[in-house]
Amino acid sequence: MEIGDCYIGWATDEEIRSKGASGGLVTAMLAAALEKELVEAVVVLKKLGEFEAIPIVTSDPEEVKAAAGSMHSVPIVLSRYLEYGTKVALPAKPCDARATIEQAKRQQVNLDTTYIIGLNCGGTMHPAVTRKMLETIYKLDPEEIAGEEIDKGKLIFETKDGKEHAIKIDELEEEGYGRRESCQYCAINIPRMADLACGNWGVIGDLAGKGTFVEVNTEKGIEILQNAIDSGAVEITPADEKGKAIREKVDSAMQKVAASAHEKYLAPIEGSHLDYYMNTLSDCINCGACKTVCPVCACGEAAKCTDFYSQALGYKMSLFHLVRFVHLMDSCIGCGQCTDVCPVDIPLTHLYRRFAEPLQEEFDYTPGVDMRTPPFFGVDLIED
Amino acid sequence: MAEDTEWQPKIVMFCCNWCSYGGADSAGMGRFQQPPTVRVIRVMCSGRMDPVFILNAFLEGADGVIFSGCHIGDCHYVSGNYKATIKYKFLKAMVNELGLEDERLKLDWISASEGERYANVVKEFTEQIKKVGPSPLKPEGVI
Repeated sequence: MEIGDCYIGWATDEEIRSKGASGGLVTAMLAAALEKELVEAVVVLKKLGEFEAIPIVTSDPEEVKAAAGSMHSVPIVLSRYLEYGTKVALPAKPCDARATIEQAKRQQVNLDTTYIIGLNCGGTMHPAVTRKMLETIYKLDPEEIAGEEIDKGKLIFETKDGKEHAIKIDELEEEGYGRRESCQYCAINIPRMADLACGNWGVIGDLAGKGTFVEVNTEKGIEILQNAIDSGAVEITPADEKGKAIREKVDSAMQKVAASAHEKYLAPIEGSHLDYYMNTLSDCINCGACKTVCPVCACGEAAKCTDFYSQALGYKMSLFHLVRFVHLMDSCIGCGQCTDVCPVDIPLTHLYRRFAEPLQEEFDYTPGVDMRTPPFFGVDLIED
Repeated sequence: MAEDTEWQPKIVMFCCNWCSYGGADSAGMGRFQQPPTVRVIRVMCSGRMDPVFILNAFLEGADGVIFSGCHIGDCHYVSGNYKATIKYKFLKAMVNELGLEDERLKLDWISASEGERYANVVKEFTEQIKKVGPSPLKPEGVI
């Protein structure tokens, strides 16, 4: 096995295979890593309901197996739950993987002991928005939902009585429902920065729906995959060229969609920029939730930005946010968590992206894809 | 007495201890005329400049901010002014996106012997700020 190889894999255990998504490869790999003591802990998502899941850290392979099945959650701040250097494996969407790499740059996470199993991602949905969408657009009771699926541009919900209800995603997003706005313009769908990039894109023929496409990106990726094969938990077969081509095609199609969403949500501000920012931020109640959840912030509780919470300063604009804008200019990964948690619904992710994008372009820097130092800290003394 | 009623901008200038602050001194000793618009704040190195200082200055009512240090290659701490250059790029991008006028922020290198140059920088910058007018970020009640 070499870096860059592509395989299609599935779990050998019949139960994991049927319960997990696309053949249960990731679940089987995580469980095998725990059983063979390759890692001490695994981060998995525990279902709270059909639309909601929370990340939990576990050392019990049974719990890992119980968490099988595709479920999306928001990126977690790994360093907050685990001691530095803990051997851990985690399934990660591209933004999770990027957040983890950014934390590693800030000495919060040790990448040498962290196995990131990347999962393809076409976007996630906010639980509360999904519930509202089901009630108002699908006219369904959220409690009656048994499953969801995205197929051919349609979002399909299956109810407990076995019926399928499909509506085009474009139409939903036009109405303000569907995926999170930040997900709609995120162009990174395949987590090539993770140790392994897994997903169901590119699985064709007999294996469709029963296997997972895996691209091996690093030595650690080989290690964790080989470990699962050696312990008999998974089987793999090399992916064919056609599958690879289809995977690329899906990726580029998603990127095109993302580009048009980008134009929609991050269109140039009409009129005065200053008025726009002052009005948008004037609702801020300085709760600091956006900072707390931010996966690339490693400042701790008392930080430079939190010195300026007070409204009593009488400033025309929140200095708290201005400080955060500067801090995130080079490292914002656009995960969308700040918008999620904002109690007064400020579209914070859009604002951060507006500041971050021109600068990340200028420095030709994409945060979270490799170990390159953020430009703010990278001083190149040999300048010409 | 038309001069007295003319609006005078408030400019905050951050000078590094080793060069620009000395430059301000020599401007005084050499009796180079300069407008009384600048409030000088001494920092140990231009690399110490935090973007927060500058944003805070604007929010406190500054119409313009200059930050200056030793010439590239002459930094007392070897690489401080390289760091300042990077921070300036961040600030420039920030000020652009925020919609503040570009002219309100300036980075300049002034050495301890360049008293005349210091006076000229202050003079030119004051003229520049007079053209763009009071800062829109100035809090209520601050002149």
